[in-house]
Amino acid sequence: MAVDTGILINVGFYVSFSIIFAILALGFNLQWGFTGLFNAGIAGFFLIGAYTAAIAITPYAPPSTGYPGHLGGYQLPLAIGALLAMLVSGLTAAVVALPTVRLRADYLAIATIAFAEVVRTVAINLEPITAGTIGIVGIPHLLEFSGPNAAFLNMATVVGVGALILLGLFFGLHYIVESPWGRVLRAIREDEEATMALGKNTFLYKIQVFAIGGALMGLAGWLFAVTLLYIEPSGSFAPAITFSVWVMVIVGGAGNLRGAMVGAFVVYGLEWLSVQLKDLAPDFLKEAIPYLRLVVVGFLLIILIILRPEGILREKKRVLR
Amino acid sequence: MAIPSESNLSIPAPKPLSRWERLRPTRRTRRQLIRAGLGVAIFVAFNALLVLLFGVNILNFTITGLSVSSIVIVAAIGLTLIYGIRGFANFAHGDIMSLGAYVALLVNAYGVSLIWGAIVSFVVLALVGILLEILVFSRLEGRGPVPPIVASVGVGLIIQNGIRTIATTRPRIYPVEAVQQIPIVPGLGVHPISHLLTPGVGLLFVISAYVLLRYTNLGKAMRATADNLELAKATGIDTKRVTYATWAVSCSFASTAGVLLGLSTLLRPEMGFNVLLLIFAAVIVGGIGSPWGAILGGLVIGLSQEMSVPVFVWLGQSDVIGLSNATAYKIAIPFIVMIVVLILRPWGIAGRAPAFTGRVYFIENLARAMGRGPKSTQPIKEEGGG
Repeated sequence: MAVDTGILINVGFYVSFSIIFAILALGFNLQWGFTGLFNAGIAGFFLIGAYTAAIAITPYAPPSTGYPGHLGGYQLPLAIGALLAMLVSGLTAAVVALPTVRLRADYLAIATIAFAEVVRTVAINLEPITAGTIGIVGIPHLLEFSGPNAAFLNMATVVGVGALILLGLFFGLHYIVESPWGRVLRAIREDEEATMALGKNTFLYKIQVFAIGGALMGLAGWLFAVTLLYIEPSGSFAPAITFSVWVMVIVGGAGNLRGAMVGAFVVYGLEWLSVQLKDLAPDFLKEAIPYLRLVVVGFLLIILIILRPEGILREKKRVLR
Repeated sequence: MAIPSESNLSIPAPKPLSRWERLRPTRRTRRQLIRAGLGVAIFVAFNALLVLLFGVNILNFTITGLSVSSIVIVAAIGLTLIYGIRGFANFAHGDIMSLGAYVALLVNAYGVSLIWGAIVSFVVLALVGILLEILVFSRLEGRGPVPPIVASVGVGLIIQNGIRTIATTRPRIYPVEAVQQIPIVPGLGVHPISHLLTPGVGLLFVISAYVLLRYTNLGKAMRATADNLELAKATGIDTKRVTYATWAVSCSFASTAGVLLGLSTLLRPEMGFNVLLLIFAAVIVGGIGSPWGAILGGLVIGLSQEMSVPVFVWLGQSDVIGLSNATAYKIAIPFIVMIVVLILRPWGIAGRAPAFTGRVYFIENLARAMGRGPKSTQPIKEEGGG
C-alpha cells in the first residue's frame, strides 16, 4: 500500500533542517551565549564538518568528463564519519582560537568571518580534494531502503537520528553548563578579569569552549551531508548561514539551551514557510522571495537587538545564596 | 668655589628660527622618510633581481595592487572613522559601498554623466549614513561591541537583498567607453581607468581626509571625540553632531569607493560584501580607529594580495605543485597578513602599543595554558571572617 508521503517528506525536510540549525545554534550559544565569544565563522566550521564527513563516507568517485573527482573512497561507517567531522572541526576551532580568542569581540568576529571565507574559497578551488564548485555527490543514506516508500523511510531515519542527537546534546550540554566548568564560562562572560583574579585560566577555558562549539558545528555538517546527500561550497556555506544562526540564538535567547533550539525551529520555520507559500505570491515577487526573506531576517536582527536582546526565553536568573 | 655669574645662570633666549629651519623635519619624520626610502629601494632591488633571475616583471602587479589599494583605502578611512567614534566594526560598510555604486548607476541611467552620478550618490549616501545613526545605531549606544555588530549585519542584509530585489541579481556595467591600455614598455601597460583614475581619486580622498582631520574644526572635534568621548563632551564639543558628521563622511567615502569598484569590475549586489573583509584586514593591519593606519594598512593589503599572484602562478605550474585555479587563493593572503599582525602587534603596524596593559603575547598565554608560564608569586592567604 503506497501512501501519499509527499507532505510528510516535506515536513520531515523542515524538521531535519531545523535540527541541523538547532545544533549549529547550540554550538554558537555555548560560545557566545555562555562564554561571550562572538564567533562569526560558523559557516566555516559547518563546511569543514560536512566535507570531512562526505570525504570519509562517500564511495570513490573517479574524475570523468564534467566532474573533477574528489578525495575519497574510504567508505568508512557513518558513525566514524560523524566522529571525524567533530574531531576535525573541533581541532580546527582550537587552532583558530589560539591566536584570536584573546581578542575583543569585534576583532574576534572579523578574524573568524575571514577564516570562514578563506575556508570556503579553498573548498571552491581545491578541486582534487573537494571537487570544486560542483561539490561532492553520492553521499550514502543513513540506512538503505528500497520499495515505494524508500524516500519517506529515508527522511524518517534522518529525522529520528537527528532528534536523538539533539536530545542527547541537550542533556549533555545541560549537564556541562550547570557544572562548575559551565559556571566558569558564565563568569568569563560577565567579568573576565575577575575570573582570572580568582585563579581560573580563562584562556584555556575559552579555547576549550571554542573547540567544543566547533565540534558541534562539525556534527551539524555531518547531519547536513547525510540529509541532503550532496554538498557544494558556494551556497550552502555562505556567510548568510552564520547570520541565520545569529538570528536564531537572538530570537530564542542567548545563554539558554532551550532558547537556541526554539529559535532554530521558529526562524527556519519562517524560511520554510516562505518557500512553501511561494506559489501564492504574485508573479513579480516570485523571483525575489529568497531575497525578501533575507531582508526580513535583517529587520528581525535589528529590531530584536534593539527591543528585546534577551530573546523569547530569558536566561534563568541565578541568585547567590 | 666661585659663585657663577649672572650671565651664566640666565637661559639664552631662543634664536628665531629661519624659514628653512622651521621646515626642517623632526627626528621622527626623518626616520620615517628614511624607512620609506629604504622600503622603496628594497622593492626596486627585489624587482630587478626577479627580472634578472626569472624574467618575471612584478611591476604590473604592483600597479594593479596600487589600484586595489586605493579602493580599499577610501573605504577603510570611512570604516575606521566610524570605529573610532562609535567603537564598533560596521559590517554593513561593504553593502553601503554597493548601494553607492547602484545609486550612481541609477542616476546615470537618467542620462546624467557618471561623474554627476558619483556626486549625487556621495550626497545621498551621506544622508543614508545619518539616517542609519538616527534609526538604528544611536539606540545601541553603550551596550558593548556585539549588539551594534549584529545590527550592522542586519543593515547589510537589508541593503544587499534590497538591491537584489529591486535591481535583480543580473551583473551590470557602467556605460563607460572601453579604453585600451597605454603601453609604456613591452609587457607593461597602464590602463587609464583602473591604473590612473582610481589611484588618482584615491589620492584625492586621502588628501581631503588629511585636510579634514588636521585643519578643520570638525576634524579636530572628530579626533577629540574618538580619543575620549567624555572629555570631548566636557570641552563643549557637540558630540552628537560630530557623530552624524562622521557617519556622513564614512558613508559618502564608501559610496565613492563603491563607484570605483564598479568601474574596475562589474556591479553585483554582493560586490561590496566581497571586499568588506579586505577592508577589515586593512583597518586591523593599520591599527583599528586610526585613519593613517588605514592608509598604510590598505597599501599593505592591496599590494600583498596582488603581488602574491605571480607566486601563485608559479605554484600552479604543473612541475611545481600543479595547484588548480591557483590565483584564486590570492584572497587568503590579506587574512594571513592580518592574523600575523593580530598575533604580534594587535594594535596595528601604525598604532602605538597600549602602555597600561601587559604585553601578553599568545605564546606567553600558550605557555601558561600548558602550565609552564610565569606563575603568580604567592597564593593569597584567606583572612578570617568574611
